Amino acid sequence: MEDEFFGEKSFQHYCAEFIKHSQQIGDGWEWKTAKDCSDGYMCKTQFQIKNGTTTSHRGTPASVHTCLPTEENLELTVDDSEVMESAAASQVIKYEYHVVYSCSYQVPVLYFRASFLDGRPLALKDIWEGVHECYKTRLLQGPWDTITQQEHPILGQPFFVLHPCKTNEFMTAVLKNPQKINRNVNYITSWLSIMGPVVGLNLPLSYAKATSQDE
Amino acid sequence: MTDDKDVLRDVWFGRIPTCFTLYQDEITEREAEPYYLLLPRVSYLTLVTDKVKKHFQKAMRQEDVSEIWFEYEGTPLKWHYPIGLLFDLLASSSALPWNITVHFKSFPEKDLLHCPSKDAVEAHFMSCMKEADALKHKSQVINEMQKKDHKQLWMGLQNDRFDQFWAINRKLMEYPPEENGFRYIPFRIYQTTTERPFIQKLFRPVAADGQLHTLGDLLKEVCPSAVTAEDGEKKNQVMIHGIEPMLETPLQWLSEHLSYPDNFLHISIVPQSTD
Repeated sequence: MEDEFFGEKSFQHYCAEFIKHSQQIGDGWEWKTAKDCSDGYMCKTQFQIKNGTTTSHRGTPASVHTCLPTEENLELTVDDSEVMESAAASQVIKYEYHVVYSCSYQVPVLYFRASFLDGRPLALKDIWEGVHECYKTRLLQGPWDTITQQEHPILGQPFFVLHPCKTNEFMTAVLKNPQKINRNVNYITSWLSIMGPVVGLNLPLSYAKATSQDE
Repeated sequence: MTDDKDVLRDVWFGRIPTCFTLYQDEITEREAEPYYLLLPRVSYLTLVTDKVKKHFQKAMRQEDVSEIWFEYEGTPLKWHYPIGLLFDLLASSSALPWNITVHFKSFPEKDLLHCPSKDAVEAHFMSCMKEADALKHKSQVINEMQKKDHKQLWMGLQNDRFDQFWAINRKLMEYPPEENGFRYIPFRIYQTTTERPFIQKLFRPVAADGQLHTLGDLLKEVCPSAVTAEDGEKKNQVMIHGIEPMLETPLQWLSEHLSYPDNFLHISIVPQSTD
């Protein structure tokens, strides 16, 4: 199919570039091809410690390492003092983030789910508690729709989705300026740096520098 | 000669005779008889099973009742799929009535979306409609509608009001006179043999030379393994609303007449029935 505003080929290209840099800095993103090999998605698994006693905790405590995507070589290093403070109330939450392409809207979509280590999934209200206050207000106003539960289009399992119907609008604004001064912009990097933090997913700054250096 | 509009009515009023039985491990205070109901093919399970829920809850204690969910032969039923799709895909080769098992505990978190209220069904339904129009008209028609039009679409579905629904939905079936159809056709193809829940791709109803694409063209392009017969024998049935449309049928016509209320063509590929 022809390349529209942001076609599937562009999506796959930007994801590949993004993953290249992720591999350089050990940020854990990888590409997963669908079983029937026709397309795929980009994903990352992250482990966070949720302190059960606080109500205003941020999504990513500084002392938690981002772990390798496979559970077999799970290495979780936690600051000893953190463990003492939170005691029995803290729990390890596994977050999975998937970047999937929507051919209907021709934009990437962020799918995510969270579960405790025993496999128990987090409910929508638990997810909401993990969203920082400042984002909560904006989420309820837009341009993002609120977080809803939807079926993952490739895996067929329930995920939460942060899917703004106005992605094109704000991405056009984001892309227009650098293009004016002839700088290269990785659409996925820009898009994820806006969407991600809302649900606890942060991008190290080196991604931005990687884009303007390559190509 | 049947009018095309009759097809719209036949699709809307399609029903599946269903027998609901309570899962044997549910804790009951008294015997729970099976409950029979004619399910609308074009609706959603959690929208039309209030009576089923009430019937079985009467036999149970309040504390044993959690979120209701349905299962057929061990497969949890996705409430967010239209009922007719679920039946065609999973049970069309079995004898009627459709035997569905009702559960009130051990919700399968990994398989099913939660359905906390009718609002969730409405949100899902409207989201599908918006996606369909994004494909057909770059969202122009649905975005031009007022909120009350959106509400009318939902209320029409919820209350089984064909005229109320189509008064608005007909606008979503129009296209510019200079074109020969929609921009892209909203469709999803389902097979139980694949891990992927469905196939959905961009596909135009009209070819570059102006010829109308057919159902056969679509399948050859996006799902060739499902229809090519290596030894000349037909392996699968291509089913929409319980019927097998001829593969020569123009896709544009199918989209206008055999779509579900969400404006998608939900197509099931099932093994050829032996009887």
